[in-house]
Amino acid sequence: MAENMSVVINVNGAGREVSVEPRKTLADAIREDLGLTGTHLGCEHGVCGACTILLDGEVVRSCLMLAVQADGAEITTIEGIADGDALHPMQSAFSEYHGLQCGFCTPGMILAGIDVVSRNPDPSPQEIREEMGGNICRCTGYQKIVESVQAAAAVMSAEGGSA
Amino acid sequence: MTTTQENRWIGVSAPRREDAPLIRGRGRYIADIEPAGTVHMAILRSPYAHARINGIDTAAAEALDGVHCVLTAADLEGIGDFPTIWRLPGQKECTTPAFAPGKARYVGEPVAAVVADSRYLAEDALDLLDVDYEILDHVVDVEAALADGAPVINEDMGDNTIIEYTFPGINALGVAGDIDGAFEEADEIVSGRFKVGRYSGVALETRGHVAEWDDLRQTLTLHSGSQVASLLRTELAAALGIPETSVRILTPNIGGAFGNQWDRYPEDILVSLASMKLCRPVKWIEDRREALQATVHGREQLQEWQLAANSDGTVLGLKGRVLSDQGAHLHSVGIGPAWVTGAAAVNQYKIANYHCDVVGVATNKTPNSTFRGFGGPEAMFGIERMMDKTARRLGIDPAELRRRNMIQADEFPYFSPGGAVYDSGNYPAALEKALEAVEYDKVREEQQSLRDQGVYRGIGIASYIHVSGFGPSAILGILDYYTGGYEGSTVKIDPHGRATLYTGMIPMGQGTETTLAQVAADHLEIDIANVRVVWGDTDQTPYTGFGSAGSRSNVAAVAVIKAIEEIKAKAVRIGAGLLEADPDDVAYADGRISVKGAEEMRSLSLADVAQQAYWAHKLPEGDQPTLEATYVYDPANFTTACGTHVAVVDVDIDTGKIDWVKYVVVDDAGTIINPLLVEGQIHGALSNGLGGAMLEEFVYDEESGQLLSSTLMDYLVPSFTDLPDFEIHHLVTPSPHTEGGFKGMGEAGCFPAAGALANAVTDALSHLGVEADQTPVTPSRLWSLIDQAGG
Repeated sequence: MAENMSVVINVNGAGREVSVEPRKTLADAIREDLGLTGTHLGCEHGVCGACTILLDGEVVRSCLMLAVQADGAEITTIEGIADGDALHPMQSAFSEYHGLQCGFCTPGMILAGIDVVSRNPDPSPQEIREEMGGNICRCTGYQKIVESVQAAAAVMSAEGGSA
Repeated sequence: MTTTQENRWIGVSAPRREDAPLIRGRGRYIADIEPAGTVHMAILRSPYAHARINGIDTAAAEALDGVHCVLTAADLEGIGDFPTIWRLPGQKECTTPAFAPGKARYVGEPVAAVVADSRYLAEDALDLLDVDYEILDHVVDVEAALADGAPVINEDMGDNTIIEYTFPGINALGVAGDIDGAFEEADEIVSGRFKVGRYSGVALETRGHVAEWDDLRQTLTLHSGSQVASLLRTELAAALGIPETSVRILTPNIGGAFGNQWDRYPEDILVSLASMKLCRPVKWIEDRREALQATVHGREQLQEWQLAANSDGTVLGLKGRVLSDQGAHLHSVGIGPAWVTGAAAVNQYKIANYHCDVVGVATNKTPNSTFRGFGGPEAMFGIERMMDKTARRLGIDPAELRRRNMIQADEFPYFSPGGAVYDSGNYPAALEKALEAVEYDKVREEQQSLRDQGVYRGIGIASYIHVSGFGPSAILGILDYYTGGYEGSTVKIDPHGRATLYTGMIPMGQGTETTLAQVAADHLEIDIANVRVVWGDTDQTPYTGFGSAGSRSNVAAVAVIKAIEEIKAKAVRIGAGLLEADPDDVAYADGRISVKGAEEMRSLSLADVAQQAYWAHKLPEGDQPTLEATYVYDPANFTTACGTHVAVVDVDIDTGKIDWVKYVVVDDAGTIINPLLVEGQIHGALSNGLGGAMLEEFVYDEESGQLLSSTLMDYLVPSFTDLPDFEIHHLVTPSPHTEGGFKGMGEAGCFPAAGALANAVTDALSHLGVEADQTPVTPSRLWSLIDQAGG
């Protein structure tokens, strides 16, 4: 077995250093070494999107990266998007529009939704469906997730406009 | 209830109390649980469909640094199997063992387990296990498994027929039909042969457990994603040979269950056994390949139906044979789903003469067991395809043929020749509402002109019944189903007047915690914020006879209502004493206990009475201190949810791709507790139903017996772009024999989905004579059919 390696990652705004086996996935390091269990593992082969995080501003599947590849990166997980007690509009919208049932895909969906709206402030339902095609939900049939993302987009645009 | 505040919460889209932690990433799923000192289990599974295990050399794995133990069949002395709880007459005995019993019978059957410091290390050790396999001939096709000379999968059964069960067409009143007479008399006999594909729930969260054996107290705590903790506790204790009183099951958040988590599995035993052996916490989390290989599959059936009809469209009789591909052995519910198919196949139609043979067949595949819908969607697919075939043969519009044969609203209770009693509904009204919503006549009209432009549009109707709210325990006894059908509820009022509700139901995404809180708040007439729901701990919650399912909240809700009735009666007795009034003159209303007619003057809050109940200084004769009640409700009958779906699709005849135009749902689930959550359940069940209708399939290679679709790259679940927006309308026919009028509805959406889709596709391609009789109707399968038809 290879020696552990030290990895420095900026996680949700705070610098963290972990010592991991080189073969350890970023997803496992986030869950086990950083203790952030909101990042879920649904397939571990890059299809389901439950492990979606933002890495240096890009959406990535953390199960498809090794932790050592994230050395020096900035990552945002589901735990890092609320402003203290104030939920991110995407989080509020998922609850209000029943965009979640079991909640297992939800962290990845919320991060993917934020990414979509960051690139397209006013997405149509069809655009949302196409853009979020990399995330799987087994409970909702997607319709209410689409409604949630649309509703959040409206709030985010309004907030962005007033800022 | 008699107050002005009636139904403040029932019928309201109350926000889900489940959501707050989940949207923040603070859910607590099984993989998130890791007590100090936890070690990790990985499982070696058979790579062969059928192979004798002549020996396992564990030495190298055991020698690896960080490995704590290796388990094989040799470690199972004194450990029992899990039983098959549905044991129909004539069914050959069959159980679920913890490890392959001397030979592996399907790809994925557990052969050995390793426990190590980390999962990475445990998987390293699996590579060091040396198994001496003797490969045997296999069979993965249900008809081949029945042929002479087929490899026998379970030698003690003699052959691969596990059970042959006949529905003789006698209704619950003992009235028998005359199936031969019906077929002699009929103007037309229509035949159909249908392959219902093998697929399953494929929850996004895989299965898992954390077992904690406490050697000091000799107790086992199992953190488990099982949706039926009570039964798991009973069966696990029996298998391990320890007292059931020593086993506690704790249920965290569940990342989807869809019926698959209803079953008991080998790993339930293995992780517990490892923890008992090592005296430390042991964790096992299934990976996705394991989930596709070793979590139960569902649905797969080969159906042959014949329908006898007169030329005016009257259906006189239906007879069929259902071959259920059970996989290697019966799992927890045996051939239950296929039995339900036989019981439900006459659907909404007045078919007086019925006969169906159901055959459970063993093949070298993963066991086929509990999955959302449980035999109903399979039945609906067969009968709804048969109705369309009959309509076409007779030259009658498929909507009109249904109209002419439906049970009418004034014909309930209806005693079906499948043996079920339908409690209520208005089938024709649901059909008409669906046709109206989809603008049926207009779409039919457009169909022809579109076809002239090369657009192949099809309309598919499928109606359904969903017999839910399983069921009076006495009936389960008659069906040789060895569980009860009841649900218990304990409600405790604290000294401040707040309620805690203990339920055996387990929320797995459907919002049970919220809906039960709504029911309790309404019946106690207090604010929903003052109701706490406790679930997921067998040390605290009532035993549940049947276990959690998408269609069980209706039964659990009645248990809550009944317990609250007892609490209110006691509160009135105590309150009457305090108010110095006759109990007959005192009533419970608006969460207060008041003298009738003097509510302004002589009235106590629930908190006032509760405080007195806890002080117990002055209780009525015969009343015990505190304010709590437990009620175990055994339903009086099944409930039947029902409705009609209409799918409109365009088929690209060059590629076999199906494009959605519209999907309309009209459903009737009786009284609705939470409309928003009901809509969510319909959407979700539809995605399960349409997934299996269009994409999802466990494909086995005939030659090797391998499961080919063992990643999510190969097993295709519907994505955002595969499903349409659903248009939902409700009818409300309250169940006449459940308190509150609720019917189970969490599964209903998947019942007619495959029938509606296949009927729409067949309709779109009627000019070619293509018949979509096999699910899933994948683009490649459909393209082949179009190609063969010369399209």
